[in-house]
Amino acid sequence: MSDILQVRGLTKRFGGLAAVNDVDFDVREGGISGLIGPNGAGKTTIFNLITGVYKVSSGTVSFGGRDITDLEPHRIAGLGVTRTFQNIRLFKNLTVFENVLTACHASASYGLADSLLRLPRFRREEKAIMDKADGLLEILGLSDRKDAIANGLPYGLQRRLEITRALALDPKLLLLDEPAAGMNPDETEQLMRLIGEIRDRFKLSVLVIEHHMDLVMGLCERIVVLNFGQKLADGVPDAIRGDQRVVEAYLGGGDK
Amino acid sequence: MSSYIEGILMLSGINLIAVLGLSLLTGFAGLFSFGHAGFMAIGAYSAAVCTKLLGLPFVAAIAAAALVAAGVSWLIGRATLKLKGDYFCIATLGFGEAIRLILDNFQGLGGARGWPGIPPRTTLLNILILDVIGVVLLANLVRSRHGRNMIAVREEELAAKVAGIDTFRYKMLALVISAAYAGVAGALLGHYMTFIQPKMFSMVKSTELTIIVIFGGLGSISGSVLGAVVLTFLPELLRAVDKWRLVVYGLAVIGIMIGRPRGLMGGFELTPKSIRAHFARRREERAIKAGRAAEDGDEALSGEADGKGGL
Amino acid sequence: MAQFLQQMVNGLSIGSVYALMAVGYSLVYSIMNFSNFAHGGVIMFGAYFGFFAMTLLKLPFVASFALAFVGTAVLAVVIERVAYKPLRERSAPFLYFIISAMGASIFLENIIIATIGPTFRTYPDVFGRTSISLGSVSIGRLDLIMFVISAVCLTGLVLFIDKTKMGRAIQASAYNMKAAALMGVNTDRVVMIVFALGGMLAGIAGVFFGMKYTVYPQIGNITTKSFVAAVFGGLGSLPGAVLGSVLLGVIETLVAGYLSSQFRDLIAFVILIGVLVFRPTGIMGKTTEDKA
Repeated sequence: MSDILQVRGLTKRFGGLAAVNDVDFDVREGGISGLIGPNGAGKTTIFNLITGVYKVSSGTVSFGGRDITDLEPHRIAGLGVTRTFQNIRLFKNLTVFENVLTACHASASYGLADSLLRLPRFRREEKAIMDKADGLLEILGLSDRKDAIANGLPYGLQRRLEITRALALDPKLLLLDEPAAGMNPDETEQLMRLIGEIRDRFKLSVLVIEHHMDLVMGLCERIVVLNFGQKLADGVPDAIRGDQRVVEAYLGGGDK
Repeated sequence: MSSYIEGILMLSGINLIAVLGLSLLTGFAGLFSFGHAGFMAIGAYSAAVCTKLLGLPFVAAIAAAALVAAGVSWLIGRATLKLKGDYFCIATLGFGEAIRLILDNFQGLGGARGWPGIPPRTTLLNILILDVIGVVLLANLVRSRHGRNMIAVREEELAAKVAGIDTFRYKMLALVISAAYAGVAGALLGHYMTFIQPKMFSMVKSTELTIIVIFGGLGSISGSVLGAVVLTFLPELLRAVDKWRLVVYGLAVIGIMIGRPRGLMGGFELTPKSIRAHFARRREERAIKAGRAAEDGDEALSGEADGKGGL
Repeated sequence: MAQFLQQMVNGLSIGSVYALMAVGYSLVYSIMNFSNFAHGGVIMFGAYFGFFAMTLLKLPFVASFALAFVGTAVLAVVIERVAYKPLRERSAPFLYFIISAMGASIFLENIIIATIGPTFRTYPDVFGRTSISLGSVSIGRLDLIMFVISAVCLTGLVLFIDKTKMGRAIQASAYNMKAAALMGVNTDRVVMIVFALGGMLAGIAGVFFGMKYTVYPQIGNITTKSFVAAVFGGLGSLPGAVLGSVLLGVIETLVAGYLSSQFRDLIAFVILIGVLVFRPTGIMGKTTEDKA
């Protein structure tokens, strides 16, 4: 298996403070990788750097062998990297269906004139993306909430909708930022299964930030541990579990 | 039909075109402009140059008005739409004032005293035709992937970006189309009044257009249509208390933002399908609300959920 | 040379009043992260408060002045409570704040037109028309007083923000409202104080504009210049707002003096375009990335 994402020497400074400092890691194609670390370790910042939300201070990100450092977010998304957010960001006032349909936009290529004049191409492609959105909602089990307003959904379903919306882009790499935040153990269990199913069904790679150790250890094939913006360790779950530095960072004994 | 009523109808039809454009910009793409009357001014003067000085047919003048207004808006967009929203607002504010000042000092086009003798080409019929075209094109646009992308920018710009939407491009598209609509409205206004003057396009005019969009509801085309007609007629009916009209409007605008942000129509389009869907959604929302009361109090109290979807 | 110095002096004086407006606006901007476009309405009310205190209540200048800025401080806080607080509480989008500000602005302007009328009114002549000569340069008494009071107010504001506990709370909130709240800062109070301060400065500016020009319901439109000045100096930066305002005042006066007074009002927009195209962060602004 080759690496779909390669991060090299990635650094982000806010003012004088390095939120992410010289971090290297890879995400294997078709794998599920975890990014863990205490609060403020720079996990979400790394997501923001990979997806182009922040400008990189130094270092490179390459995806599928192509340098995507500092491309605009929509271009990176267009190449097949998308994400969810820690504090869910849905199109709040739109319905569940509209949220997903909007994200299907890249599967259609009709132009402005086609839509203004409702030309045959518009009708054909619009039908296709509506079917696609319906299909995704079906797979993710949101069909019965299709016409509900996104903001009115229970929390767990909002997270699920955000994942569905991300899948509408046909991503090759999906970044999940604390997908289990605020969930009870049952829901977390369900979510783990869901992530695994998504990976198999959509043939994509996943990088997940998570605090729930059970989830990370049970789900991820490889784990990257961050602390204070730097990479602490990198490896398979068992190796990470036994790594002295990781234990210290998590138990707060890191000052020795 | 008395010519008085016809006159007001024509004015509301002209206003409607400008309002439709502004509705796209503010209601759908979520951008706020203080200077939309400036685009009307550009349209009015460009069209008048076409017919009065160049002797071109009215259709060509209208097309020119749309193009010139769109072109100018493109320049403004290029300079500001990549920056934070405030820059765009301030730029439109400056633009609206600057256009007026420039025209005031441009003696070749009548200067501050105005420019008379524009041929009276605007008729109720051509206003109606353009209104219908304007509504149909806009409705088609907002229910396409292009329109949905604009709405996504309004709803959550960052999420739109990572969903692969070129937010700059779609903000620009909304701005350029809305300026073209304003340009057409300006052309029609000039050829209806047969006289144009820079102060007809002051910030007050921009504000009036925005008020109509807000009353009609952000993101509602039928609301904009209703708003344009009602709010053009209303001042005529309320002549006696006219000076209090804007006082009430000001308060109403605040009230709408606080209580019913999607406007009097609540983002609700009047089509048979939407009416059925609306009632279904109401039932669903009630059910969800009941089920949600226990969990996640914060989200449920966010207020947004109560301000939409109702008539 | 003498003429140039004269223009500079006049420019500094008007620029210092622009600074009062621009600082009030920037202060609110730095906390709330939105442009309070109702600021002009507050300035206009300041002009009217001062005017009626002097003409109707026959109060002396100092008392009228105090009444005006206390009045506008209260008005600004009331506007915040009515038009913005409900939006703040449910974290409404940026657009709603701007529209609500527009509503407040329409209301303020038109309530004056409906009750007092649209006529222009002239302040009583408090300081006389004589000017003070300094060599070849003469300074109008009003211009001098405007400059001195503005400078004192701005210095006072800087001291308040730098030296008091509340001032530091304001700084913390400007940096990060949520974090400040977590650290125990009463952010609602901070917002109130910031609006009161902005309102006070607006009231003072209003009285000065009323005295320098006349009082009329649309006088608030002059705030457009403070927005331009704030962008010129660097949106959200208080020193930038002062610098941008003073420069704008000087440039305007020079343009009016050497080119044509018709270009006087246009030059602000030329500057605006120039800044937006070439340096959107303004003179003092630094590039900031929105924290996601």
